[in-house]
Amino acid sequence: MPVTSFGQGITGGAYDLGGAFTFWPRHNEALLKRLETKDSWLERHQYPKREKDDPLENEMVLNLGPQHPATHGVLRVVVKLDGELIEKAVVDIGYLHRGLEKLAESKTFQEFMPYTDRMDYLSPYSNNVAWCLAVEKLVGIEVPERAQWIRMMMCELARISSHLIWMGVGLMDAGAVSVFLWTFREREEIYAIFDEVTGARLTVSHARIGGIANDLTPTAFARIKNFADRFPEQLRGWEKFLNRNRIWIDRNEGIGAITAEEALELGLTGPNIRACGIEYDIRHFEPYLKYDEVDFIIPLRTEGDALARYFVRLEEMSESIKIVRQCLERLEHMPGPIRTDDSRLAYPSKEEVYYSMESMIHDFLLTDVGVAPPKGAHSYHAIEAPKGELGFYMISDGTGRPWRVRIKAPSFSNLQGLEDMMEGSLVADTVIMIGSIDPVMGESDK
Amino acid sequence: MREDQKNAETRTDPALHAHETLKFYFTPKHEPLPKDRPNPHAKATTFVPEVVAALQERFGDDVREVGLYANEHTVLLTKQRIVDVCRFLKEEMGFTYFVDCGGIDRFVDEERYEVFYNLVSVKDKKRIRIKVRVGEDDMTVPSVTSVYRAADWNEREAWDMFGIRFEGHPDLRRMYMPEDFEYHPLRKEFPLLGIPGSLPLPPQTPEGELTMDPFARAHGYIPVNSFQEPPSNRKGSNGEDKQAGE
Repeated sequence: MPVTSFGQGITGGAYDLGGAFTFWPRHNEALLKRLETKDSWLERHQYPKREKDDPLENEMVLNLGPQHPATHGVLRVVVKLDGELIEKAVVDIGYLHRGLEKLAESKTFQEFMPYTDRMDYLSPYSNNVAWCLAVEKLVGIEVPERAQWIRMMMCELARISSHLIWMGVGLMDAGAVSVFLWTFREREEIYAIFDEVTGARLTVSHARIGGIANDLTPTAFARIKNFADRFPEQLRGWEKFLNRNRIWIDRNEGIGAITAEEALELGLTGPNIRACGIEYDIRHFEPYLKYDEVDFIIPLRTEGDALARYFVRLEEMSESIKIVRQCLERLEHMPGPIRTDDSRLAYPSKEEVYYSMESMIHDFLLTDVGVAPPKGAHSYHAIEAPKGELGFYMISDGTGRPWRVRIKAPSFSNLQGLEDMMEGSLVADTVIMIGSIDPVMGESDK
Repeated sequence: MREDQKNAETRTDPALHAHETLKFYFTPKHEPLPKDRPNPHAKATTFVPEVVAALQERFGDDVREVGLYANEHTVLLTKQRIVDVCRFLKEEMGFTYFVDCGGIDRFVDEERYEVFYNLVSVKDKKRIRIKVRVGEDDMTVPSVTSVYRAADWNEREAWDMFGIRFEGHPDLRRMYMPEDFEYHPLRKEFPLLGIPGSLPLPPQTPEGELTMDPFARAHGYIPVNSFQEPPSNRKGSNGEDKQAGE
């Protein structure tokens, strides 16, 4: 009888957990039942070789998470092991489920924007922009050029900060603590930039429907410029340290490898699908903001393993810096408003509200009623967030609150591939695999 | 010079305050917005008349409605044919990448629920949305997991959130909520606050019992703090039992 780390034996069909779980017992029963009934090629393959009563107790069910530092949040995976080999795995998510889609239905479009900060909390600026762009598409609001360039620049900084966390934490999972300190020093600089620009380090809430909240100060420009000048050198240093590092390569090569066909089938997105050789990047596929006017390439690899994902993300960071530089150049001589002028659609500036009665009325109406799309309007807008395609499908009933919001979260799609990656690999590689697909539970659990 | 004094110095520099001058961009106009404004965020990928035409030719009357908003094509189909349509789109039209699928509650309309599918052809740079409608009397939709494996979790989520059963799905468990939960929270009749007592909450102390009342304090019961000794020898000390006795 296999030994489980929680409850008693799972065979026999009764799923008697022996009182180990009084909390949500049916959920755990269903999970174990799934683990038992799941068809796995590896298990079928190994079954004839296995002795019936398993005298060495090779077989075991192990519960990873949801409270485990290496799972990057509250991810839970129940695995069936044969020795150190993972025969099958069942991923269980939902431990951070807050019902964002339900919450959105009772908020105006602008009111929901701060909630998107809490989705992918490693790149809140991208989420804000994704939400605002989706609303702007639904209503049909034009965004001033300066705001678009600022949004784009900040989104790329958010991508770098997200990849920095992935890199530091991923390497720490593999045992290299010093890289964690280096990347967090750089991330700290990006957070200081966010602080200067938006007034908040993590939950920035800077985008507004029709533009952004406030323009960048000269100090912020100087800081971003300084960062863009300094960062590539840091990146080159890490590349020198890691790209030919025997331990790091051995730890990653061939781990969690999937082919291009499998990646398409499993619906992976972002750097994970690009590491399999499929050129699917929303910045090229459906250019939004000003991505069709800047010069950058999409890093691609064909191996599809953890090492390929590492290279893709590393190269993406230097491409992002390239975009940031181009944005800085363009913004230098670009005057203009940072929010759309029409205060029926977007918040008027604070100066205007304080000095003009009509603007104050509009400001009040936008807060109370919100901007209203036509009845029955529905549209989908996606951006390339650091984790992949982040899209919002919205349906309007003609009021200032959405009738239904569907969040297409990239981490959710990426985690779906985890079971396939894990089955057939060693349990020690699980941590590397989870790190390499870079899930954020706040987003995948909504 | 101290660090904070440095900051004070820069604040007084008039050149740094140039961006803070008052600007009045907007002159209020009291007229409705024009009806047919071009959508500034419309994408070329979502406009797929040739795919819609191919679907109409192949499936005839099963294509119930074709919509276009913000340059996005939406095709409404009868739900019995959804697997055939997906197979046709995947194998003959090149829509190999399954992006998203989910439920929609239309509440007071006939055929209350909708399921939408968001499909992408990476090669041809195309995106299409297809929809099927589900009535309350028959809450089932054929599962497309046999065509697109990526639909697995999305269909589980739609089952969890709306109670739409996907026939032929290999593993139709709830996605986010635990199996112990009986409701489908994204339905319009489900209250935003949740249903008190629908899920047991963790015990207040390591050896305590499950809490069934999420609003214990509001109902007059002060929960035990974790650092306090649990009143384990006394029966009926937790919120639920006290409520039952009232």
